[in-house]
This record gives sequence, C-alpha cells and structure tokens, in this order.
Amino acid sequence: MNKHTKTAILVAPILTILGFALADLWEESEAQQERAFELVPFGHCDVSNQKCILKSGEFEINVMDANGITTVNSTYPLDTATLFLVDKNNQAKPYQLGMKDSPYYWKRETPIGTLLSNKGDSAKLRVIIEIKGGKYFAEFYTQTTQ
Amino acid sequence: MEDKQSYWQENLRLIFICLAIWFVVSFGFGLLLVEPLNAIRLGGYKLGFWFAQQGSIYTFVGLIFWYGKKMNDLDKKYNVEDS
Repeated sequence: MNKHTKTAILVAPILTILGFALADLWEESEAQQERAFELVPFGHCDVSNQKCILKSGEFEINVMDANGITTVNSTYPLDTATLFLVDKNNQAKPYQLGMKDSPYYWKRETPIGTLLSNKGDSAKLRVIIEIKGGKYFAEFYTQTTQ
Repeated sequence: MEDKQSYWQENLRLIFICLAIWFVVSFGFGLLLVEPLNAIRLGGYKLGFWFAQQGSIYTFVGLIFWYGKKMNDLDKKYNVEDS
C-alpha cells in the first residue's frame, strides 16, 4: 500500500464523520420546518362501526365512535387532535380531543354517534392532527353501513 | 520548480474531484435528491435510502483506491515515486 492510499484511508473516515454530522444538522433543521400533509380515507369510512382509516404515507389514523365517545387512534404519537363536525351550511364545530392513556389514543364525547345511529346516516367531518414536524388534515364523509 | 507546481496543481485537482464526488453521493444523493431517487428501487430498497445508508460508504471506499491509483500515476508522470 503506497503513501497516497494510506493518506486517503486516514482522511476518508474524517470526511465520513463530518458528512454524518452535517447530514444530522440538515435533517434537524428540516424537521423544524412545519409542513402540512393531507390524509386520505382508506376504503369506506364508517366511524360508527369503527371502520374509518385515513392515511398519508406510513402515517395512519383510525377514527371511531362508540357510546358517544369519539376516539382517534394513530400509528405515531400525536401532539394534538381536533375533530370538526361540518353541518349542512358548511359550518364546522370543533371538538378538541384529549389524550387517552398514551399519545396514540385521543378521545372526547361528541354528538357524532347520535347523528350516525341509523343505517345510511352520513356526516361530513374534518380532522387536524399536529405531530412533531408537521400537521395532517383531512375532510371526509362517514356513512353508517350497518 | 515548475514541475513541482504542476504536480501540486494536478494533486489539488484530484482532491477537488474526490471532494465533489463525496459531496454528491453523501449530500446530493442521500439528502437533497433523496425523494426523486426513492422512486427507483435497487434490490428492493429505495435508491435514495440506499445511498444514505450504504451507497455513499461504498463510494468512499472506492474513492480511496481510485485516489491512490491516480496519485501513483501522477508520481510516475513527474518521476517522484517512492524508491
């Protein structure tokens, strides 16, 4: 092995570590920028029957309602979760959900269950989720199928 | 004296080429262009992710030997090889 290869072998790890340190700084600054992502319903949404999945990449939330309590369950821990019930005049009433045992479960008493108690009942909902590094939002319809 | 300067200039040129390749594979492919590269799959892995995790390291190892070889050639050209 000649002197140049030896020099390169000594310098390369320094550049590699420098690269990783700078990449870490870059990623950290990127993560601090607030970004918004749209959640899209995955299949038919039926909140009353615990079948309402909204997705954005690997992030998923499940919106469900039972006994008057609406729950949002997510694949990542959330900072806040707000559900909006939209009426016929497109007026949205917000329901700020509270954490239930862990940041993966958020719940609150809402009138959604009463509005969707019969088969065929539907409602327009919106959700805004805050998570480290961004906000997720969705506007979707739920319809009771059984 | 002129030979020494010329040798040093070519040496610097090689170093800058190596640094440019180092920047392109680590920051370019691993960070700045990671999203478009992730659309391409390499052995089941997203290409941008692969460059960030393994590809850049392989390139660095390759650069070590490439630099060594090019410097050897330069030593021969300027007749300054190790005795």
